[in-house]
Amino acid sequence: MTSTSVNPGAAGESPAAPGGAGLALSIRNLDKSFSGTRALNHVSLQVRRGTVHALLGGNGSGKSTTIKILAGVYGADGGELEIFGTPFDLHGYTPATAQQAGLRFVHQDLGLFDDLSIEENFALDNGYPRKGPGIDWKHLRTHVKALLDEYELDLDPRTPIRNLRPSDQTMVAIARALQDQDASQELLLVLDEPTARLAAQESEVLLERVRRRAELGQTVIIVSHRLREVLAVSDDYTIYRDGRVAGELVAASPTEDELIEIMAGRAVQALRPTGEPSHAERSPVFSVTGLRGGPVRGIDFTVHRGEILGLAGLVGSGRSSVLKMIFGEHRPDAGTMTLEGAEYRPEAIGDAMRAGVALVPEDRGGEAAFPDQSVTENLAVAVYGENFTRGVMPRGRERTAAETLIADFGVKVAGPEALFSSMSGGNQQKVVLARWMQRNPKLLLLDEPTQGVDVMSRADIYAIIRRAAAEGCAVIVASSDLGEIHALCDRTLILSRGRISDEVAAGDLDVDGLTSLVLREKNVPDAPTEAQQ
Amino acid sequence: MTQTSTPPASATVSIPVKRTPTPLRLLENFALPLLAILVYVFFAFFPMSSASFPTMNNLAVILGSQAVVALIAIAALFPLICGYFDFSLGAVAVMTQVMTAGLMSVLGLPLWLSIVISLVLGTLVGVLNGFFVTKLNMSPFVTTLGMSMLLAGLMSWFTGGQTFVTGIDPALVKFGSTRLLGIPLVFFITLIVAAIAWYFFTHTPYGRSLYAIGSNATAAKLVGLPVSKNVWWSFIIAGFIAGVAGVLQLARVGSATAADGGSLLFPALAAVFLGATAIRPGFFNVIGTIIGAIFVAVSVSGLALSGASGWASNVFNGIALLAAVGLSTYLGRKHRAGK
Repeated sequence: MTSTSVNPGAAGESPAAPGGAGLALSIRNLDKSFSGTRALNHVSLQVRRGTVHALLGGNGSGKSTTIKILAGVYGADGGELEIFGTPFDLHGYTPATAQQAGLRFVHQDLGLFDDLSIEENFALDNGYPRKGPGIDWKHLRTHVKALLDEYELDLDPRTPIRNLRPSDQTMVAIARALQDQDASQELLLVLDEPTARLAAQESEVLLERVRRRAELGQTVIIVSHRLREVLAVSDDYTIYRDGRVAGELVAASPTEDELIEIMAGRAVQALRPTGEPSHAERSPVFSVTGLRGGPVRGIDFTVHRGEILGLAGLVGSGRSSVLKMIFGEHRPDAGTMTLEGAEYRPEAIGDAMRAGVALVPEDRGGEAAFPDQSVTENLAVAVYGENFTRGVMPRGRERTAAETLIADFGVKVAGPEALFSSMSGGNQQKVVLARWMQRNPKLLLLDEPTQGVDVMSRADIYAIIRRAAAEGCAVIVASSDLGEIHALCDRTLILSRGRISDEVAAGDLDVDGLTSLVLREKNVPDAPTEAQQ
Repeated sequence: MTQTSTPPASATVSIPVKRTPTPLRLLENFALPLLAILVYVFFAFFPMSSASFPTMNNLAVILGSQAVVALIAIAALFPLICGYFDFSLGAVAVMTQVMTAGLMSVLGLPLWLSIVISLVLGTLVGVLNGFFVTKLNMSPFVTTLGMSMLLAGLMSWFTGGQTFVTGIDPALVKFGSTRLLGIPLVFFITLIVAAIAWYFFTHTPYGRSLYAIGSNATAAKLVGLPVSKNVWWSFIIAGFIAGVAGVLQLARVGSATAADGGSLLFPALAAVFLGATAIRPGFFNVIGTIIGAIFVAVSVSGLALSGASGWASNVFNGIALLAAVGLSTYLGRKHRAGK
């Protein structure tokens, strides 16, 4: 497969000469094999000084391998590397070399100590300033305060990291990574999936700040699955596919679809709204009236057979709480629920499952994964009771069932006995979906179904969800990604402070319209009459 | 989400691939039984122990003494698989040993009733441990350690520092010294309990759920498993099995003295953690645990018969426990890393 170099003419600007002053980083002809398999095949990456450069690609495209080689975690098989004009030998290139060369990495897991204060997090990275036998706290505090001000963070250095909002935590990690940047040394910041853990609104705040750093001359490489966000912040794009460069866009403004097409090598339809009549029928499957509990302050809605219903809203609007109450994880304070015409009141999760309700939780790692167990085990765990017949667990049947599910749901994994943790995020999510779909639920609840999932897997997951709806399942999707809501849902409820503020049918509004509906509510003061109802 | 850069060759794999056991993997799974056999052969030919070690009689002694430790090890497996330590099991065993003897010798109760009362008490300790840990969210480590101290103290009070030797039903002692095919009957009891435990862990929803809970308790709850109920039951079962171990110990020894049970508990923990390095490396499992117990017993007996002093067996148990925890942690991490 030859790499296509996409270069939109009008916006095009040829990259600076290799090794010239304009390049912060230049990688050429980088090769890497893992036990005989080519992970990288002559890939390149040219990052101009003072730009935000997006490195994109699906799972297995080689972008993570490249970042790990840059960080000195993996050794390269061959290739040339220049950082700020200085050539580096890739043999004997270690994390220490990367540090000296001026590369700074902020990973998805920020590496901050949650219980310690901001200033201590800075000091643990860079050493405590000393005064006699003790620590010069005053000096540390002024130093950190100055840095925070520089990064437009209005925070007290003594605040524990835990108390910061998520985007501020990431920003503190960035400031910490760049704290020794001065006139004598320029640094290159590599952000690896910086927004994967953040809700949409938080990532906007973060990316806006990153954008401002770039305007001040900071060079940034950003790796992310969230294309809309990348588009909002990046100047240049390098796209990998199957270990090769599939496209290089300099000073371009591509559309999301164009990027996806380069990443996938084809147009991916599943990520768009289908535009077809939905599968929704007029027979209601599930309804709630007057549901209250936690942040939810009284809502009514009905989901029908074959319908995909979206729940949108800001963090704290009660999106997840609604799902948790339906699933029996939290008991509602008030309200009635009806499932298939009968009153539905789950006392525990087991009741909800028996009634035909399934929930794919938001936090895959914390709430859905059994990382050290096999894929078979991860699938069978939801049907132990059903599988237990005549006093034995049918291991053979579990395995066969797992093989079938792996094939049905397009999971890329070495085999049913492979460990859950050995798969990529997208494939893990498919296994979690398969776990629930094998129970043939009547009502499928999905909380952030594609968080931390690459674009190609996201398309597969959308297809799985649509298939479930086509087979008659009622689906409720809660998501902070309004592009997702827009693409998937037949009907969307906008939640605001625990109430339904709007209802939107598919096709009535575009993503921006949905966004403004969600955000607009933020500034509307709570109507007293409503609160007292 | 950071992707693990799996070589793209796996991109076409949706056809189930059966993982063929490589020789290395087999070696990893069966290293411990192999090592046990090697140690046995070594002491059988080692000049200082070759006279008394490789005899049927010594094998019977090894298996007999290890039956009780292995039983406590199996008891400890239940809470350990779901991620909880129970340090009170040695003390529970000592308690049922002392209570069974004491009820017969002091109160003159019949054998069966003494056993029943003792087992009920052992189970009750499990109920309490489970209640503290699951309902009051107390640290299992400290809770069970405290329980162990409490029981040891109560037994000292109960015995008044005496050893119960008289008044114990001779039928029990006779049972303890009976051999079948040259092997003590008590060892067969342990094997039966082990077989039931194996069935539980691999072939019942309950047993399988314990592994799921140990892997990720929150996720286990969200797939509808009754997490705190099952954890509670694991403590109750552990208490009951440890109680049985205490009665068997009385049958073997024929007397009972108050103690903290550490001499039973720590070899048992060594067996459990050694067991996690074999058969299903990185996971606690019944078969590995039995092999671990035999390995520890063979080594200690060999050392003793080679003329090593009494402290040698403690040193060995300590080293075995450290090595086993280190190895099983390493293997567990390796497996979690997906290699």
